Amino acid sequence: MSVFIDSSFDETKKKWNLKLKGEIDIYSSNVFKEQLQKIYSSENVEDIYIDASELEYIDSTGLGVLIGGLKRLKQKDKDIYIYNTKPHVKKIFNITGLDKIFKLEG
Amino acid sequence: MQSINSEEYNNIDINTCDSICMAIPSKPEYVGVVRLTVSAIANRMGFNIEEIEDIKVAVAEACTNAIKHGLNQDFRVNFDIFEDKMAIRIKDEGKGYKMDELNEPDLLNPREEGGLGIFIIKSLMDEVHLTSNVGLGTEIKMIKFLGEGN
Repeated sequence: MSVFIDSSFDETKKKWNLKLKGEIDIYSSNVFKEQLQKIYSSENVEDIYIDASELEYIDSTGLGVLIGGLKRLKQKDKDIYIYNTKPHVKKIFNITGLDKIFKLEG
Repeated sequence: MQSINSEEYNNIDINTCDSICMAIPSKPEYVGVVRLTVSAIANRMGFNIEEIEDIKVAVAEACTNAIKHGLNQDFRVNFDIFEDKMAIRIKDEGKGYKMDELNEPDLLNPREEGGLGIFIIKSLMDEVHLTSNVGLGTEIKMIKFLGEGN
C-alpha cells in the first residue's frame, strides 16, 4: 500500500495545500510524516489544507502522524483542515473523536 | 447425483466452521496482504461493503499492533468462518503487556502513539477479546456477525 502526496504552498493565501492519494498505514505513514515535518521545519509554518478526496484509507498510525503534526502547528497557532473525506475515512475520524480535533469540512 | 434436501441443509451444525490460517512476517508491507485476504473472505461470506470495510480496518489495526510489539517474529492470523459470523484471531509472540496498564485513549487530548488501534477495533467489531502476557505475547480475537447491519 502506498500514498502519493502533492504539496504546494499558496503564497497569496499563506496556506499549504496537500492532496493525499492512496492509503496511509503503518507501511506508508512515514512518507506522510516526512511531508509534515518539511512543512513545520520550513520558514512558512502556516495552516494546512488537506484534500482527502482520493484518500482511500487511513489507520491509527496515520492518525498518529496527523495528531503529531497538529500539535506542532498549534504551537504556532496554526491548524489542519481536512476536506472531502470519503465516508469510510470520515467514520474513522468520527469513532476516534478526532473529528472534534481537526477541522473537517465537506 | 443426490442433492441435499433443505431440511438436511438447515440441520448442519451451526458451529461447524472452515478455518484459514496464515503466518505473516512481522513487516509493515504485509498488512496490505492480510487486508486483501480478509476482505475476500468477508465478501465471499456475504458481508456488505460497509461491514467488509469495518473488518478490514479492524484486522489491519490488530496486525499493526502485532508488528509494532511483535519483536520481529512472524505473527499468526486465523480466520474462522461460521454460518452466522466470522471470528478472527491475531496472535503474536512479542513482548506483551500488563492488561491493567491498557488505558482508554483520551480522545480530547490524543497522544501520537498508541491506544487508538484497540479503540478502533472495539468500535468496529461486535465482540473483541484481548489477552496479553508479558514475555509471551498478545492475542486479539474479534467477531463480526453476519446480517447485523443489513
